[in-house]
Amino acid sequence: MIDVVFLLIVFFMVTSEFARDVRAELELPKLQGEQNDQTEEAGLVINIQEDGSIILSVSDAPLDLESLEARLLEVFSGEQAKEARVLVRADARASTTRLNEVVRLLHDVGVGAARMGTEVPSGARRGGGP
Amino acid sequence: MRFQPRKSRARVDRLTLNLASMIDVTFLLLVYFIVSTVMARPEDQLTSAIQTRDADSAGAQIDYQPQVIEVVRLDGRPTYVLGDRMLDDLGSLTEVIRGLPKEIGVFVRVSPGIPVEFALAAVQACRDAGFQQVTYVPEE
Repeated sequence: MIDVVFLLIVFFMVTSEFARDVRAELELPKLQGEQNDQTEEAGLVINIQEDGSIILSVSDAPLDLESLEARLLEVFSGEQAKEARVLVRADARASTTRLNEVVRLLHDVGVGAARMGTEVPSGARRGGGP
Repeated sequence: MRFQPRKSRARVDRLTLNLASMIDVTFLLLVYFIVSTVMARPEDQLTSAIQTRDADSAGAQIDYQPQVIEVVRLDGRPTYVLGDRMLDDLGSLTEVIRGLPKEIGVFVRVSPGIPVEFALAAVQACRDAGFQQVTYVPEE
């Protein structure tokens, strides 16, 4: 029993740390989003901080556009890119200059659609349409 | 002399397990996960197709007039431009685009130098107005 409990502790700690690692601490735009209750796989997460720096993982150094392109080409190839799941989490105060550069880069490597991260405002109802 | 019959004491060795510490750990874990879940800010997403203003995209090869919302900076203020209408708040934009035909989708052309929140609000307005097909077009 104790073995199982410890195993659970380790499992949850590792998974929560991993989930936190790809999501940088950002102030996302306070928008309701699509209010889709279905849980979707996050896919590749690109974080754009207020100063425009791009990070894929909290524990890694910020990337420039060239490095990001190399990483994208590494992850997605050919037809795979068209269906790729990419979540762009951009800080609400960041400039669209950087966001546009990232979106253009995604288009160039063949990604057909992107999801933009939002923070659901407190009190916003979930599960319904507009 | 009285001899009492010796009681046959059948020793029953019972294996006991003290669960108190495990219950402590379980409750601690429960509290930890409840608190960390509540503290996490709820996130959502806005999905949009991506196109650029190259020759093969952004409405260049389509045979109908695309519906385009431009997010630009006018007189130092971020503004939504829809045809000849200039709107500077999300509510008015949503009201205006609610009346547009939904089948052909909508393009959101975003100029650089605008706060991300203002630009994504345009995508949100399209979703709120009932558009299923929203295309993000990054301007240079």
